[in-house]
Amino acid sequence: MAAAVLGVLRALLVLLQAALIADTVAGVFETRSLDGVERAAGWLLVVFAARGLLGWLTTAVSQRAAADVKSQLRLEVMRARLGNPVSSRTSPGTLVSVVTQGLDALDGYFGRFLPQLLLAVTVPVIAGVAVGLRDATSAVIVAVTVPLIPVFMVLIGWTTETRVKRRFAVQTRLANHFADLISGLATLQVFGRAITARQGLARSENAHRSETMGTLRVAFLSAFVLELAATLSVALIAVTIGFRVLYGSLDLATALYVLVVAPEVYLPIRMVGVHFHDSANGSAAADAAFAAIDATPVPVPAPEERDTESHREGLDALRTGSRVLEFAEVSFCYPGGAGIRNLSFDVAPGEVVALTGPSGAGKTTVLALVMGFLAADSGTVRVGCDIAYVAQEPGMLRGTVADNVRLGWTNATETELRQALDVAGGVGITLDRHVGDAGEGLSAGERRRVALARALLRVRLGSAGLLVLDEPTAGLDADTEEQAVRAIRALKVAALIVSHRQAVLELADKSVPICDLRNLAEPESGVSP
Amino acid sequence: MIGLVTRLLSAIPRGRARFVAAIALGVAATGASVALLGVSAWLLTLAAEHPAVAALTVPATAVRMFGTSRGAFRYAERLCGHDLALNMQGALRLSVYDKLARTTLLGARRGDLLTRVTADVEAIMDVVVRVALPFASASVVVLGTSLILATFDVASAVVLLGCAVIAGIVVPWVAARLSLRDDAATVPLRAAMADVVYETALAAPELVAYGASETQFAKLAEADAQLRRADQRAAWTRGLAVGAQSVVMGMAVAAALLFGADAVVTGELRAPALAVLVFTPLALAESFDDLAKAAQVMTRARASLERVTALLDAAPVGVGDRARTVTETSDRGVPDSATEGAAPVAHDPASITALSSVRIAAAAETSQHPARIRPPSDSSAECSPSAAHAPLLQHVASPQAVPQEDSSYATSPQTTAAVLALRDLVIGWPDAPPLLHGINLELGPGERVAVTGASGVGKTTLAATILGMIPPAAGELIADDSIGYLAQDAHIFATTVAENVRIGNPWATDDAITAALARVGLSYLDLAREVSAQTLSGGEARRVAAARLLVLRPAPALVILDEPTEHLDHESAAALMRDLWAAFGPTTALLVITHDAEVIARCPGELRL
Repeated sequence: MAAAVLGVLRALLVLLQAALIADTVAGVFETRSLDGVERAAGWLLVVFAARGLLGWLTTAVSQRAAADVKSQLRLEVMRARLGNPVSSRTSPGTLVSVVTQGLDALDGYFGRFLPQLLLAVTVPVIAGVAVGLRDATSAVIVAVTVPLIPVFMVLIGWTTETRVKRRFAVQTRLANHFADLISGLATLQVFGRAITARQGLARSENAHRSETMGTLRVAFLSAFVLELAATLSVALIAVTIGFRVLYGSLDLATALYVLVVAPEVYLPIRMVGVHFHDSANGSAAADAAFAAIDATPVPVPAPEERDTESHREGLDALRTGSRVLEFAEVSFCYPGGAGIRNLSFDVAPGEVVALTGPSGAGKTTVLALVMGFLAADSGTVRVGCDIAYVAQEPGMLRGTVADNVRLGWTNATETELRQALDVAGGVGITLDRHVGDAGEGLSAGERRRVALARALLRVRLGSAGLLVLDEPTAGLDADTEEQAVRAIRALKVAALIVSHRQAVLELADKSVPICDLRNLAEPESGVSP
Repeated sequence: MIGLVTRLLSAIPRGRARFVAAIALGVAATGASVALLGVSAWLLTLAAEHPAVAALTVPATAVRMFGTSRGAFRYAERLCGHDLALNMQGALRLSVYDKLARTTLLGARRGDLLTRVTADVEAIMDVVVRVALPFASASVVVLGTSLILATFDVASAVVLLGCAVIAGIVVPWVAARLSLRDDAATVPLRAAMADVVYETALAAPELVAYGASETQFAKLAEADAQLRRADQRAAWTRGLAVGAQSVVMGMAVAAALLFGADAVVTGELRAPALAVLVFTPLALAESFDDLAKAAQVMTRARASLERVTALLDAAPVGVGDRARTVTETSDRGVPDSATEGAAPVAHDPASITALSSVRIAAAAETSQHPARIRPPSDSSAECSPSAAHAPLLQHVASPQAVPQEDSSYATSPQTTAAVLALRDLVIGWPDAPPLLHGINLELGPGERVAVTGASGVGKTTLAATILGMIPPAAGELIADDSIGYLAQDAHIFATTVAENVRIGNPWATDDAITAALARVGLSYLDLAREVSAQTLSGGEARRVAAARLLVLRPAPALVILDEPTEHLDHESAAALMRDLWAAFGPTTALLVITHDAEVIARCPGELRL
């Protein structure tokens, strides 16, 4: 709204400027005196200053709006990510680039393209009407030529679209060849092939240039038509009014007025074309953000299906001897067809259950269903207590090891942290060790031990009744593994463990085999539950 | 940066001529729009003097001509400029490639540089198309217009030129300074935001599982709020250049009106000239805008091109390409000691058997090439595994644990040469302090040794040294010529499976490739399938990379596996290692850089760094 007002004001200032210039020049021409010239020059300074002020305000207002929109999108994307923690659709690296540099493209969209679009709508209409009020003939030329511009643009766009798209695909592939070679340069060097690969690069650079030029020859056509229409219209108006002035059917002041206003009618339309790539980039950035947000929808299961509310209920469950976890006829299917079907099992308090099965059968999916990261397509998942969770590649927070263990129980003391870490097999890991990006500073095995300590803390202090572990001893040597297994057993809480390791499987009270849904025979998959 | 542009202009055919042509077309295009308005104003005021119709013919024709030609000139200028810029970009890419290809990248931790350089070279396009050409043609037009107007009225022409300098140079300069200041404020906030986002993305399951997602979201919201406030503060300086240019333009128009009207009244100037004086600055608005935009782009592009220039001017490190062993003629039993590219270091076998460490170090210093010396076959007695001179070597595989008799290895039937011998080796990057001292290791055919140590200790640097890609800082290094290296991040090129495997050996037949793929458990991959780093899983990528080593000829006597299981889930890692142990057979010596305890357990020896 504010921007619309700014657009109208801008158009009015253009008209004021035109009137001042036309009347003063015509006045000097007719009277050969300096009457009012100084005052007109003064007013011109004011009008140009006001135009400048307006331009500055428009940019500032739009940029501030862009900052707000970017902030809103950032938070929505991150809210969505936390809502769907196991989403694999957007990698962390992609997410970072979407949320930072990616959204910056909206600066161009809001800061340049949108204000320009608004001017393209307001200025030609207002200026066209103003021209019409003083000279109808010129207004007719404007009224005929202005609509031609979008029509021609659309026509050119239509006829060249497929060509440009096809060429663009080739061009992108060639452009990526350099990036691909540079990323793989170390690999090429190891095999002594870097120098020879240069010939291929030189060839693809040449091909890239000719393909790009082919695209540009077509792509620049629309800009060409736009400029041609704008300048040709101004020339047409100028010559027409010139001869009408000569024959005395138009006074000089009006003619000059029309000459100042006419280019201003076409300028905003042309500038929309100039800023068109801002619009394309902005839409692409917004699309990327929306895609990251849409990767979310995890319906929160209804309370009667998931009773995880408080660990008090969990304690009750423990006391009454009911199940800490129950899967009843649970099915979950990924879009690709993988998933689990009609899985039923339960975990009693204190019971250690191993999930076994071939690679890719869906063991980690079962854990995600237990944790509520995924919602079952059908069937019931009942959780009777608080859960302590250790992922296969545990996520680490930036900070210290202590910060990371403390995630298990916020109010844990230093001693309790140390104890938990020692029990988890992390005797050699100091609490004040720095943890960088993605757990940098800790090896994969150390990260698992820190995550295990985190879970132990939740069991001891937070009274979690179920431990969920995904490959807890992968990458550990036999001694450390034995220690970890003993620590898990000593807790005397229920545990659901995915593992291949014999030592871990021996520890389990029972195993639940998960079979690979993708290998099921056709008739069986056709049977409805 | 001007240096880089001139260098590139001379690197391409008729570069300078095309540069001048593009500027000329730009001048014609901008000049046409300025002339269109100026001559139109002339035409109107001339008509108001009611001369004969013939007097209007010339200006009317000129107006039509300028109106038609502007678009055509602009179109030609764009094509000419882009063609030039694309040529320059191609030349720059090739120079950057040449430079990087001659610098050892393995283990150099220049990952950020590599990802950045791809984007950085694209800045040359902007510098040519959006800075150099518009700046040059706008300057010529402004100067030319001022000169022409000076023939009417010197004072207003001088004011116009002054205003152009302010609007085109001073204002953009100030705006650039302001935006640099804003950037300095937002860059750290942006980095902080990226850090929290990255952390959240990686730890999301844990944060949700432990009920910390709201706390984390508050952290995100705080980082976001700081960034938003900084962005909003920066918004105030963004439009300043546009605003200031309008004010300056007003000054030029007002001055033209005052001086011009005065000259007309005093009779020094014909009346139509006044209209030209006043209208021409209006048409220059676009040129001013071009100058401001050029300055903006320049600010962004400069940093990129400075990085590229620094890269091009840097001294090469290491040898870049590893010298390839002669493929067709040599057989693995008798590798040529002076293979293609390797420095023929003068030595007599006696000094090697004496385990003199000084000589090889000296050789490394005097030559760009690595000290890669094949132990003579009669030196095997001294090269046999021994713990006596290996303080850091925890355990060496016992010789009886590996097959001794393999005719393809032994250069003479009764002995077995060491594939790799490191004695008091000191490694480090050239011109950098040494990373590790006193590395000792002997590796015979078929032996397996795990190389362990904290991350960043220099394990991959050791691999680069053994491969001969950087010289040893001191000490002795004796290595077989045929070494294979499997990187954890081995690159998969965007091409077919077969071409990816042929990186190992360009002469490999399809049958050889099929056999290699089968040995690494990829028999289901079609040779002609187009793949890339994104379309293969982490395990598959490593298997394709391993297949490259299997087609190497001569077959490598030593293979270095660098963190083969890193970043793979446990099941894929275990399956990969099963296949790798089998693929490289009992005769290939393996040096396995790892910190995976399961992998270490499969290696009889361990070198702890």
